[in-house]
Amino acid sequence: MKKKDIKVLVVDDEVAFANTLSQRLQMRELKVGTAYNGEEALSKLKDEEPDVMVLDLKMPGLHGMEVLREIRKAYPDIQVIILTGHGTDKDAEEAKRLGGFDFLRKPADIDHLEHKIRKAFQEKLERTMTAIAFAEAGEFDTARKIIKEEDEEQ
Amino acid sequence: MEHKSEENLRLLQLEFVGKILAGFTHDIKNYIAIIKESAGLIEDIIKIEKTPKNKSEQYIEIIRSIEEQIQKTNDLFRYLNRFAHRMDTQLAAFNINESLEELFALIQRVANQKKITLARDFQRDIPSVYSNPSIFQFLIFSFLEERMTNLDKNSIITVKTGIKGSSVGVNISSEGVLRVGQDVQAMIPPEIRTFALQKLTGDISESNGNILITLPVSR
Repeated sequence: MKKKDIKVLVVDDEVAFANTLSQRLQMRELKVGTAYNGEEALSKLKDEEPDVMVLDLKMPGLHGMEVLREIRKAYPDIQVIILTGHGTDKDAEEAKRLGGFDFLRKPADIDHLEHKIRKAFQEKLERTMTAIAFAEAGEFDTARKIIKEEDEEQ
Repeated sequence: MEHKSEENLRLLQLEFVGKILAGFTHDIKNYIAIIKESAGLIEDIIKIEKTPKNKSEQYIEIIRSIEEQIQKTNDLFRYLNRFAHRMDTQLAAFNINESLEELFALIQRVANQKKITLARDFQRDIPSVYSNPSIFQFLIFSFLEERMTNLDKNSIITVKTGIKGSSVGVNISSEGVLRVGQDVQAMIPPEIRTFALQKLTGDISESNGNILITLPVSR
């Protein structure tokens, strides 16, 4: 897989920040898009799903945590890295509970962020490969069936 | 009853100050992030473009200096943001070492001006305590402020933390000469001591210029 094949969506209401960060990530051979609020981010997902989303928390309108919740429901394959200037330990716990890949505080080191993005993408790939392997072996359906039967028994 | 209601209003006022400060530090951190990314972008461009080596080295050195200042500013605002959030709730589980480190960072400038050393002797991996995080810092600050006012230059104030049974203890002692006319025993103003004792769920004892605060470990 070529480096440019990793699709990233940067979501931040600070336009200058989102644009500059996007430029820097593009220079690191990532394919980067931007959205300036939560609603715009969710709308962009309908056209194209990124592999990794870099998401701010405190934005006007839809809060980043709400965006994360929506993504988990409708787009479970997208990896979300929270990047916020407003991160409390409570926010970090909440993001983890909601299935966020990582929680970084602004200002973040660009090399560290790039590393996290690639790591998130790698994990996504591995997850997809595992799901394919299970499905091919028919074990995925069997496992789901067992869980379903256990639920019905309870 | 009237006294109680005034006290509650004061606490609400404290929470209000905390909320405003937390929002303010959030905005500042955003601006710092923008400056950092802009400086970083210039560095990226210099590396990509064919700038003469002596020039590019000079530019990168200037950018490093900007980044260093950004880092220092960010560290201060991170502490200030956490400090503001200490006022979110009246009782919470928190790490005493982190709370003290944060307070030290915010008052270090005062200590430097007075040429007083704030020494730390923190026990590692200390359990969290359950108490009032804001009042705890207020109490420590009141004590340190009194010491820094009354101690002469080149004195040392040592803050030590450690586990004491099912509590965590903070011991503050000082080495140095008291300014003329100062009483070694007079440390925390009595009204602050009474107020802190009511709110802290812990104990405060003072003797020979030292203070020991014990707070219960969080369950």
